Amino acid sequence: MGEFIQFTLNGLMAGTIYALIAVGIVSVFKATKVVNFAHGYIIMFGAYFYFTFSVIVPGAPWAPDWLQSWEPAWMVAMKADLPMFSPMGAVLDWLSNLPRIVLGLAGAVICNALLGLLIERTLMRPLIGQSTFAMIMITVGLISVLSGTKGLIWTADAEFVPHIAPNTPIRLNLFDTPIFLFGADLVNVAVALLLFGAIVAMVRYTKGGVAIRATAEDQSTAYSMGISVPRVFSRAWVLAATTGAIAGAILATRNGVSPSLGLFGFSVLAIVLMGGLDSYVGVFIAALTVGFLEAMAQWQFGGEFAEVVPYVAVLIVILIRPHGLFGQKEVERI
Amino acid sequence: MKQTRRTFIATGAAATAALGMPTILRAQPSEYVIGASLPLTGPFATAGQLVAPAFTLAEKLINDEGGIGGTPIRFVTEDSGYIPQNALANYQRALATEGDALVAYFGDSTGFMKLVAPELTGDQARLMGSTSFASELANPATNPYQYLAGPSYQDQFDILLQNIKDAGGSNVAFIFSNTEFGRDPIEHGKMRAEELGIEVVLEESTKPQGADIPTHVTKLAQSGAEYAILQGYVTGVWPQLIGGARQFGLPTQFMGTFWGMEKLIADRVTAEAGPFLDGYQGVMPYRYFYDREDAPRYQLFAEAAKEMFAGTPLENYMSTWTLQTMCALEIAIKALRDTVEGGNEPTPDNLAAALSGITDWDTGGFFGGPVSMVDNKIGTGRVYQYSTETGLFTPTSDWFTV
Repeated sequence: MGEFIQFTLNGLMAGTIYALIAVGIVSVFKATKVVNFAHGYIIMFGAYFYFTFSVIVPGAPWAPDWLQSWEPAWMVAMKADLPMFSPMGAVLDWLSNLPRIVLGLAGAVICNALLGLLIERTLMRPLIGQSTFAMIMITVGLISVLSGTKGLIWTADAEFVPHIAPNTPIRLNLFDTPIFLFGADLVNVAVALLLFGAIVAMVRYTKGGVAIRATAEDQSTAYSMGISVPRVFSRAWVLAATTGAIAGAILATRNGVSPSLGLFGFSVLAIVLMGGLDSYVGVFIAALTVGFLEAMAQWQFGGEFAEVVPYVAVLIVILIRPHGLFGQKEVERI
Repeated sequence: MKQTRRTFIATGAAATAALGMPTILRAQPSEYVIGASLPLTGPFATAGQLVAPAFTLAEKLINDEGGIGGTPIRFVTEDSGYIPQNALANYQRALATEGDALVAYFGDSTGFMKLVAPELTGDQARLMGSTSFASELANPATNPYQYLAGPSYQDQFDILLQNIKDAGGSNVAFIFSNTEFGRDPIEHGKMRAEELGIEVVLEESTKPQGADIPTHVTKLAQSGAEYAILQGYVTGVWPQLIGGARQFGLPTQFMGTFWGMEKLIADRVTAEAGPFLDGYQGVMPYRYFYDREDAPRYQLFAEAAKEMFAGTPLENYMSTWTLQTMCALEIAIKALRDTVEGGNEPTPDNLAAALSGITDWDTGGFFGGPVSMVDNKIGTGRVYQYSTETGLFTPTSDWFTV
């Protein structure tokens, strides 16, 4: 039972991060009806921007020492008395990394927002009024462009980045089984849930959110009602790119920075299809379900199955409910 | 028969032709060529770019030593992007361009070595080394022209398990990437562990990149493994796994195989993430480049590198990946020299025979002592341990030959 709880927690924690990634795909789809196949690569850029601003920039010869490692005298004194890898040591390590973590997150959010804006202005906006299919195909092409550009800017080596929260170990005993949790993972989950909740609230209760929903219903009517549809498009892309930057940074702290982060987008696309392309709630439930199934498959059958079992479940759901768990059923009138 | 002037000339001409024929067959080419595919771009570009200068260095050293029986050697390298099909195309192009002068080839992956294996027949065959230590390749019956420049992954597991046994260990976890590279020695390792009385408490398969570290670390924690052998990774996953385990306070002793033993990676991880690789162990077939005192060949490389690569990272340190390539090239040159100096043509079959005949060979310091090519591999290595304080891997065992 203890192990079941352990892997359930692991799965739910992974699921909340999937949900944070998925929110970008849903936001763009809700506003523009475009399924963004390149979202995983936008997240990958977020991760590399975080790496750039939290590792490369602070390590540059011209950067001040405190940016790389802020270690006032009291901290040095405290660290000297601690054994290596102690929980308090993890907190102090995080504190001394805090300046570069803040710079990394700020840099990632700003640069990814600009990237989202650039994509929308140069690739999406010229196609407003054209077939949605053409826009979707552009996002497919964007995968190669982003993947190639990444190769021009950064190396393919796997890199380390600092955790955004203290990574203190947490040990519990449940049903005579030790349960292990990482402190940083709990904070990651909290951040993901907060962001997810804030976006859902924004879409539901703010003026900008209403504009997104109106545009999603009917672009022409939204135009005629005085809503600036191009601005709605921009907002959706920027929103997706900025949440993608946070998701990328979190993924990078968990799994390291590597080009494989781009592939997460495809896994999450399956989750979005399972939940319903235009339903935040559906996608949240689907993300938690897939995270849970992955963890169970990893526990019971091993790594190979962890990559297959959840997506078989996704396929079954789509076969039974083609529009997803909570997706709006499209009715086409001829 | 009456000897007339006409029959004397005819007999003389026939005798000259007969005597001259072998000379014509054994005609020395103006140069020998060794081709290579390297991952200069793609996921292993860092390794490829570190290895590429080794060919320039080897070409200079070998030609300064008189080439192959007086004939110079030339290396031709091309980028594969770490795509086996590209490497195969490079090989076929080298065959077409260089013809019989191409005597050996260096491949950049297990994938390429397996892809090219069925092609290595008749005039398409060449002696072939590579970056791979895949156990399946070390089989002269099926792959007579292909060789490993060290121990197979199965041999490396044998060395590590023996080391665990010698240290009094009783259980081990195998953590490996879900790739051919990762799975290669697992079944063999389980059998060997059973023979040695070591319990395998966890077999954990992970993604080769971007693995879910917290999940794998919790499984490791629950397994209670004293030792964990990591297999099938190059720059990623293994450091994150160890980092996660250390942050959790797990006392597990981590061990790696050849591709997880590079000092440059360990140094970079230490600089970026802290000292958690301290005490990490693993198997290495060769001496590290800084351990040159008893390695005259390394001293020669160091002198040449100082001159040829001044101002680059290669000036003072040669990575383990570069050493592996140098060793593979030295083996090919040894087979070539043995063949030519023995008065034989450097045909693929003669080179394969010379390769199998390498016995008690003094490599000049790559390995701990004289080595032999058995089953087209050199099953030798020893266990090293990394110190974050010195930034060095130092030996913790004697040389094992398995």
